[in-house]
Amino acid sequence: MGKEKNVRNFCIIAHIDHGKSTLADRILEECGALSKREMKNQILDNMDLERERGITIKLNSVEVSYRYQQEEYILHLIDTPGHVDFSYEVSRSLAACEGAILVVDAAQGMEAQTLANLYLALENDLTIIPVINKIDLPNADIPRVEEELIRNIGFSKEEIILTSAKEGIGISELLDSIVCRIPSPKGDSAAPLQALIFDSVFDSYRGVIVTIRVVSGTLKVGDTVLFMETGATYEVLELGVSTPKERKKEVLQPGDVGFFTASIKNIEDVRVGDTVTLAKNKASTPLPGYQPMKSMVFCGVYPVETSKFEELRESLSKLKLNDASLTFEPETSKALGFGFRCGFLGLLHMDVIRERIEREYNIDLILTSPSVIYHVNLTDGSTIFVDSPSKFPDRGKIKEVLEPFIKTNIFTPSDYIGPIMELCQNKRGIYQSMEYLDEKRVNIHYALPLSEIVYDFFDKLKSYTKGYASFDYEIIGYQQSDLVKMDILLNGEVVDALSVIVHKDFAYLRGKAVVEKLKGTIPRQLFEIPVQASVGSKILARSTVKALRKDVLAKCYGGDISRKKKLLEKQKEGKKKMKQIGSVALPQEAFLSVLSMEEE
Amino acid sequence: MVSSVYLHIPFCRSICSYCDFCKMYYHGEFVERYLQSLKKEIQEVYQKEPIRTLYIGGGTPSCLHPPELEQLFQIVSMFDLSEVQEFTFEMNPEDITEEKLVFLKTHGVNRISIGHETKNDAYLSILGRKRCVSKEDILLVKTYFSNINIDLMYGFSGQTIFAFIEDLDYVLSLDVPHISTYSLILEEHTKLFISKYQRLNDENDARMYEILREKLSENGYKQYEISNFSKEGFSSFHNLTYWNNEQYYGFGLGASGYLSTRYTNTRSLDEYEKGFYKQEEEVVSLSDQMIYEMILGLRKVEGVAKIKFFQKYHRKIEQSFDIIEMLNQGLLEDTGDFIRIPKDKLYLENSILIHFLEVKNYE
Repeated sequence: MGKEKNVRNFCIIAHIDHGKSTLADRILEECGALSKREMKNQILDNMDLERERGITIKLNSVEVSYRYQQEEYILHLIDTPGHVDFSYEVSRSLAACEGAILVVDAAQGMEAQTLANLYLALENDLTIIPVINKIDLPNADIPRVEEELIRNIGFSKEEIILTSAKEGIGISELLDSIVCRIPSPKGDSAAPLQALIFDSVFDSYRGVIVTIRVVSGTLKVGDTVLFMETGATYEVLELGVSTPKERKKEVLQPGDVGFFTASIKNIEDVRVGDTVTLAKNKASTPLPGYQPMKSMVFCGVYPVETSKFEELRESLSKLKLNDASLTFEPETSKALGFGFRCGFLGLLHMDVIRERIEREYNIDLILTSPSVIYHVNLTDGSTIFVDSPSKFPDRGKIKEVLEPFIKTNIFTPSDYIGPIMELCQNKRGIYQSMEYLDEKRVNIHYALPLSEIVYDFFDKLKSYTKGYASFDYEIIGYQQSDLVKMDILLNGEVVDALSVIVHKDFAYLRGKAVVEKLKGTIPRQLFEIPVQASVGSKILARSTVKALRKDVLAKCYGGDISRKKKLLEKQKEGKKKMKQIGSVALPQEAFLSVLSMEEE
Repeated sequence: MVSSVYLHIPFCRSICSYCDFCKMYYHGEFVERYLQSLKKEIQEVYQKEPIRTLYIGGGTPSCLHPPELEQLFQIVSMFDLSEVQEFTFEMNPEDITEEKLVFLKTHGVNRISIGHETKNDAYLSILGRKRCVSKEDILLVKTYFSNINIDLMYGFSGQTIFAFIEDLDYVLSLDVPHISTYSLILEEHTKLFISKYQRLNDENDARMYEILREKLSENGYKQYEISNFSKEGFSSFHNLTYWNNEQYYGFGLGASGYLSTRYTNTRSLDEYEKGFYKQEEEVVSLSDQMIYEMILGLRKVEGVAKIKFFQKYHRKIEQSFDIIEMLNQGLLEDTGDFIRIPKDKLYLENSILIHFLEVKNYE
């Protein structure tokens, strides 16, 4: 006991681009965790993808030490993602903390998602330190943002810390507040071990690396641990913390955030959210864990090269290790062969997983159009759950179809109320209410079918409001809708992977849009390809991809020969990335073109 | 046995906006230095085989001054031309003079290839070319040469079918035995490419190609390769060495050749003078040879001769490539002696040739 008195576990809550990762970098720098030379921007975003997109996707934790009034403190910083799709990750990191830094951009003010995460933090009884960042910006409006924090959330002016992570202003003041205001973790080091798994990654040399927060008890190298949910036992080989360089330790105690390895080759044994205890001195109950997020959006994921099916399974398993929200089960498509039905939290999540598989595991993928889960009541009185158009029953057997609805919080400057309402109406929205947050900002509530959100709602919202609006939602339940399955035919053949479930009233426009989009995406081939959209036997729209007219290297003399071969090889490579369906070669984009919803 | 030579003269009086060949502005001192080095390269590489076809191209070889031409043809005399069949010299219209023609005629040249491209002034200016060939030019050339080629280009932005037919009719009126045509290609690093020039759409381009083939055929020209048409007996022997996948010397700055390897010379005059000739070299394995045999041979209207393929590689074409399905789909034709691309599919040859990039059952 006594040691954890000087430990502080905290995370940072912020909207995308409000400077969270830069702030984290400054904290590490201030604590001397890394030399200037080792600082590359945004240390914690160590996936290429994260750096490129400027977003944090996976959480990361680091341990640093900080001296305050002649005493040494251990600070655990747990980084969190900001996007709505990744709230799950946020709730995971919150469960491992006693405090949170709330970062708000001095120019932009509070964003909807930040607010949502803040409420999550408050529910977890975390101590919040509000920070207004980017005060160096010329358009910073500190009084307005302060006012917002005070009036909307109830902070006092004295609590708010002003920083510029970029310029290094206010960082030591922030660190002092972390020590003074955030409580130290409580926990009995003599009690049976209870440690929460909040992340894990697979390392081909060391097996699964399990990241844990020790809540009570003590974990030592050589201990035999028991995973309470899966029942698996392993002997701990290594213990350590990330500073963010790995530092080996012999013991982890209550309040510690660290990792262990135990030569775990079976990925299935480690589940994020499970509790680790000792095999010999078992805890009586597991920790509450956290609410597992449910997959909201489902789509088929297929390897372009059918031989890579097993590799795809492997890569999905590895990704699932630290992303419990990803679900998958095998499915087959007549057009695409063997693949997986995968569940995601949202479209960005889906996109990130696709990119990670393509980059980190080098498998070219085809994703089919995303779907939600429909409840279909059949005429025989039974109910089935449909997460894929291919499982949609014949119309004759259907009594009614229910689909998930959400309630939106759309935070927007009042100038854009009109366009947003129009957008929601076009997405089958049902107006509910609207609240003025202050003179200029409103929160608009609509009930919308979730399936309409998974298409291009985000993009549309951003473009209608010049990027000013932000958006989150909660599921409010299932409601009956008049839905039909729309098929797409290429060359007269139904391509199952292109089928979608649409509202009957929208089927015609959707069909027309999809057919036109496909016409634009399918490259011309050696023969003409008719493209049709149908519901049942009724053709809703048709178009034609004209035959290729010219695909030739006009001249080929002595100097062109080697180059000609290279050009052909490149062309062949491009063709390989396409999926051959019957006699038609389809590019990856074609499968997502059914998302396109230009209603013009 | 190597019996063909390509010789490159990189100098030009003006630079064409579409040209991606190795070229540089004419400069008397550079010409002097260049010819010295060219001589050296030939001395080092040429194995004294009798040369059947020789092609002097550029650049603009015709832009050289008479004394420089003298020097060039002294170098040419290093080749064993006792069995020469075809000796082509490329000329720009503005260089056609009686003096030069007489010189070329008396130095063994028996074929003149003229960079005409188009009669349309607007297109000529887009291409950055000085002028097209006149009827007088052609009359003069015909006084000394019977084997003449004219290059015709099409596929310009906004070019109408009508404008194209006008251009084509003009070339037909010149009544030369060989016509090379090609649709404008926008190559990287060219002025046209950089200025984001939009070439003609594929639809009209393909229509022009159809018209081209029809009209040339009506006028007694036989198509023997995707872009080449000739009167009976006037096919270019030299260019056929390329499409027959035969070996040839490539001499000069930026020139390409095929000896045991396929190579391309440096485009740097400095390097070239120092004797660092080859810049790129592709090792051609036996299966690569088979690939080249097909992707080059199928450019010819007659296609690839089965018997020649067998003699060269000791296996049948269908043992090396999956052609059965393409034959069934009508992408290839089997004439008995030849495998060829049907005439109406020639303009789509790339989509067919990509099936010939791997040899099956072969190390």
